[in-house]
Amino acid sequence: MLIRRLLSRFKRQESRKDRDDLGILVFANTSEVIQAERVLKNGGWPVRVMGPPPGIQSGCDLVIEFPLMEELHLQRLLTDAGIPPLEVVPVNDPLLKPVDLFHTKDFGGYLMIRAANMKLTVDKESLVIVNVSGGGCPDVPYLAGLMVGQTLMDTPSPGTMGHTLCGYALKLALEEMERQCLP
Amino acid sequence: MSVTVDARGLSCPQPVLMTMNEIKGGSEKEIKVLVDSEASRENVSRAAVSQGCQIVDTTQDGEEYTILLTRD
Repeated sequence: MLIRRLLSRFKRQESRKDRDDLGILVFANTSEVIQAERVLKNGGWPVRVMGPPPGIQSGCDLVIEFPLMEELHLQRLLTDAGIPPLEVVPVNDPLLKPVDLFHTKDFGGYLMIRAANMKLTVDKESLVIVNVSGGGCPDVPYLAGLMVGQTLMDTPSPGTMGHTLCGYALKLALEEMERQCLP
Repeated sequence: MSVTVDARGLSCPQPVLMTMNEIKGGSEKEIKVLVDSEASRENVSRAAVSQGCQIVDTTQDGEEYTILLTRD
């Protein structure tokens, strides 16, 4: 019992320590977040796109979580790429949520994947996208119009066309669908 | 003759999938789809058109929509 309690306390401290070592990069809009994620991942940096904590008022509805120790390297890389962040903030809010949590539902002939607030549904046999829903962002009807009726192989990527959290979440759902459905 | 797909009370993608099943598996030329949200109306219409169907008529009664489709 005592060992379990000590272990639990140790885990809590480790978890807090991990969080203290992280920071978030805040950008003006989602397009910049997507570009920055690409630049940083291509550079081999372990970053994740997250929903921002409630305390962050500026910027868009996504942020990039990064190892705080690497702040100067990442700032320089992003400034050189023409996308300097608006703000760099140490992470201390437990409500920060990753965007790339997937929920998969099998409807028999159809497979649905939800990423954050967006749902993508595909006909398993033909791999044709039959539905794009969720969100509430202004670009969702546009993205749905481009994607519904296309196959997974032919659909344009919402990552290059969308400019909102919905577009980003849809890009993640498409990538997960491709991972699950394509050889 | 037409067949009715009643998708009221269901959230997306289920109205779309019920409509798709009728388009793919049914034999009636006309399909009447009942939904109760604007998002479902849009999604069902978009999916049907992508399958080569035509939207003949859409009527609204309160929050309910009736979409009349024909297949080629």
